[in-house]
Amino acid sequence: MIAFLGGCFASFGFFFLPVIEVKPNRLASGLPVGLLEIPGDMRYLLLFLLALTPVLLAFMGDRNRRGWALAAVGNLIVILTLYLPALAGSAYLVGAEALFEAGTRISNPRILSSAAIAFGLAGGGVVLFAGLLDLEGCGVPRLVRGLAGAVGALVVVAMLAGGTLDVYSIMVEYHSRGEALALRFLEHIVFVLVALAAGLIVGIALGLWASRDAKAEDAILYTVGIIQTIPSLALFGILLVPLARLGDLHFLSLARDWLLLAAIALAAALALRRLHTRLPERARQFSLVAVFILALIPLSLLAVLIIAFGFEVALTVLTTSELALLRSVTGLALILFLILISTGKRLDLERKLPQYRRWRFLPLFAAALGALLLLAQGAGRLLGNSELAELTIRDFGVSGIGTAPAIIALTLYSLLPLVRNTYAGLKNIDPAIIDSGKGMGFTAAQSFFRIELPLAFPVIMAGVRNAAISLVGIAAVASIIGAGALGDFILLGVNSTSIDQILLGTVPAVLLAVIMDAGLKVLESLLTSPGIRQA
Amino acid sequence: MIEFKDVIKEYPNGFRAVDNLNLTVRDGEICVLIGPSGCGKTTALRMVNRLIDVTRGEILINGQPNDEFEPEVLRRQIGYAIQQIGLLPHMTIRDNVAIVPRLLDWDEERVRQRVDLLLDMVGIDPGIQGDKYPRQLSGGQQQRVGVARALGADPPIMLMDEPFGAVDPITRAILQEEFLQIQQEVGKTIIFVTHDIDEAIYMGDRIALLRAGRLVQYDTPDDLLALPRDDFVREFVGTDRSLKRLHLISVRDSMMNNVPCCDDDATLQEVTACLDRHHSDSAFVVDAGNGKLLGWVERPALVEYGSLSEAMHHAPAASIAVPEDATAREALSVLLSHSFDLTPVIDAEGVLTGGVSIQRLQDLVEEPGIHAAMQRERGR
Repeated sequence: MIAFLGGCFASFGFFFLPVIEVKPNRLASGLPVGLLEIPGDMRYLLLFLLALTPVLLAFMGDRNRRGWALAAVGNLIVILTLYLPALAGSAYLVGAEALFEAGTRISNPRILSSAAIAFGLAGGGVVLFAGLLDLEGCGVPRLVRGLAGAVGALVVVAMLAGGTLDVYSIMVEYHSRGEALALRFLEHIVFVLVALAAGLIVGIALGLWASRDAKAEDAILYTVGIIQTIPSLALFGILLVPLARLGDLHFLSLARDWLLLAAIALAAALALRRLHTRLPERARQFSLVAVFILALIPLSLLAVLIIAFGFEVALTVLTTSELALLRSVTGLALILFLILISTGKRLDLERKLPQYRRWRFLPLFAAALGALLLLAQGAGRLLGNSELAELTIRDFGVSGIGTAPAIIALTLYSLLPLVRNTYAGLKNIDPAIIDSGKGMGFTAAQSFFRIELPLAFPVIMAGVRNAAISLVGIAAVASIIGAGALGDFILLGVNSTSIDQILLGTVPAVLLAVIMDAGLKVLESLLTSPGIRQA
Repeated sequence: MIEFKDVIKEYPNGFRAVDNLNLTVRDGEICVLIGPSGCGKTTALRMVNRLIDVTRGEILINGQPNDEFEPEVLRRQIGYAIQQIGLLPHMTIRDNVAIVPRLLDWDEERVRQRVDLLLDMVGIDPGIQGDKYPRQLSGGQQQRVGVARALGADPPIMLMDEPFGAVDPITRAILQEEFLQIQQEVGKTIIFVTHDIDEAIYMGDRIALLRAGRLVQYDTPDDLLALPRDDFVREFVGTDRSLKRLHLISVRDSMMNNVPCCDDDATLQEVTACLDRHHSDSAFVVDAGNGKLLGWVERPALVEYGSLSEAMHHAPAASIAVPEDATAREALSVLLSHSFDLTPVIDAEGVLTGGVSIQRLQDLVEEPGIHAAMQRERGR
């Protein structure tokens, strides 16, 4: 049934909609060409017929053979949908001048993929999916199914790499903007990761607080909820002025003021702690709020500084070529650690090998050390040449426009899913489990790290995935205030009605979201105890 | 030894959960705290390991006030088992039992041996079940693991808050019995909270009955049943307290040794003489060679048939007799179902050793308190 629909979908597209548009240059509108209008070649008719075959295959009785047939046809449709129009397009381009009115500027003519290709890809994908479903029903092993499903994608990747598809306009764009794309893509990733890391620390802290303190609960949850409802553009705007002011300050004077503020807040907190029981009921609440506000100012200042500076450092670290060796060593150590942990769990090494228990965190330490070195290098590169007295906050990356407001806004946006899920995860733990832990002599910290965090982990990770995906989207908007990232291409594309540019920004962003989601899922399953994993 | 001295727990709103509690739990004894819900029994228990702070008064553990310890240090020395079990779902059964030893930094080899021993003790196979996760075990198995975990670092004191509360009655009875056997081996000082008077009577060396935070009566189960201090206690232990007391007495302690009985090769005259001597109309018949119970004979049948062999009723000993180690309550049950005046008692080989009569049981439950001594003998 699904295959039937997929086949219909693909063949409908091929029959009624243009496959490609031939464009004389980047801006002019193109000449639409349908699949069956391409002259002189039966191959295109065959693709149309191929797209029709699932409609017939869907009535096949033998499930196993049907599954394989559908998977093969699905892959074939996907591959040919991209390959054949590219061939045809190349043919068109050879004689491009002849196709257009005289006087049309022919510069870098290109083939714009059109609606039928989208229909063909979607239809082929659906057919493939139907085939895989059949195969799953027949008990074909997961690995084989995975390979069968990936054939089409692999061939497409090979074609991309081999230049077969270069005729498409998005590839033309890519080849002319490749270097910028790589940098923007990296920026995008760093945006999301830094905001996520900062959000994670703040979010888990707030979630923990909300779950422990009934009085703060509502205030925290409402606040992060309200932040989420501020349009991202407005938030960028709101942050613009104070950050610009902040950027002008000299580092030393800010440090002095900050220390003063922090000392006042600390003193107030300590005094409150002492006096708490002796104060009358009403004054108690009031003073609690006062101390909270006092503490909030230096804390948020510090957070802003760390986040903005952290972003600059991370970007420096990732783009400086001299640090490539240290970078790859750190990355390898981290990968080694993940492999070690996952195989260790599967093989039950913890009990069989006493050394394993002792040494398994070594690669993690190595990775952490590497990361620290990298950060120190990055910070050194950013600040190393300036005189301390002349250092302004702007040198730390804080300014009204650019990355600082963007990264801070992103951090704020990541808070809702993180706080909400941390709160829900901690709140949903059976109190009897925590009570028994306490009764056995866990300290509060041990209880949090060994009982509550592992139990809330899957829920928190769901929040992290949620936050990561939405951040990929919001980060694209940040280029409006000059923050760079993939949004640059999208903005340019919108301004010049160039779909290719928009796609050039969008496709990597979507890929990034998908890959991050999958990666976080793998991480989650690696680090979640089988005792609480959903069956 | 655990001593509550004038212990008061008062909440900020003025509610007194525990009101002037004085209680001493002797070493190696199970002290059951019981009472209606809200009577403060769980609060009292949780004050011992400082999960709840005492408002006034103090709790001494082996003579030392419990607030002289860091709470965590104190708790690691006291076993703790609760009704909801609270096994950590993300840890294997082994890791759950190993929690306290690991908190105390035992070396891994010692932990492993201890865990194997404990799991064996509570009837969980460490090889098969040890690496499973709590959710893969049945409720009864989880409670066993909960007990093993409370015994983890071999603490001298254990606090158990309805530890068998979450399972069906049959499993609970098995767990209770098994736990008493374990207690016989380990001899812990235990405070045991329950709301089930039958469990209290079965498990407790002493029962402390609480009401609205106050101690109403602290006695051995038998004394509590025999001498309820006031109407509240009487009502709480139930109108069947006589039956409950019978549960505490073994047949061996309540039987009479001298019962009408004759060998299966006895003559008519000998049987009649035996009946006359006991002023009875019936007698048990035993094997002349080994003394095993074969059946019984009644006077009218003797008169009718004229010989013992024809007059006697053969019956398998197990169906009419009670074994020596049964409770008096079981003897009563047999008495009621067979309409005998006297239920025969046999030993493990089936040899007749005595009998229990309704009259005798009645006397026992009327005499207050003298069976405290028998209670002491019950297995420990």
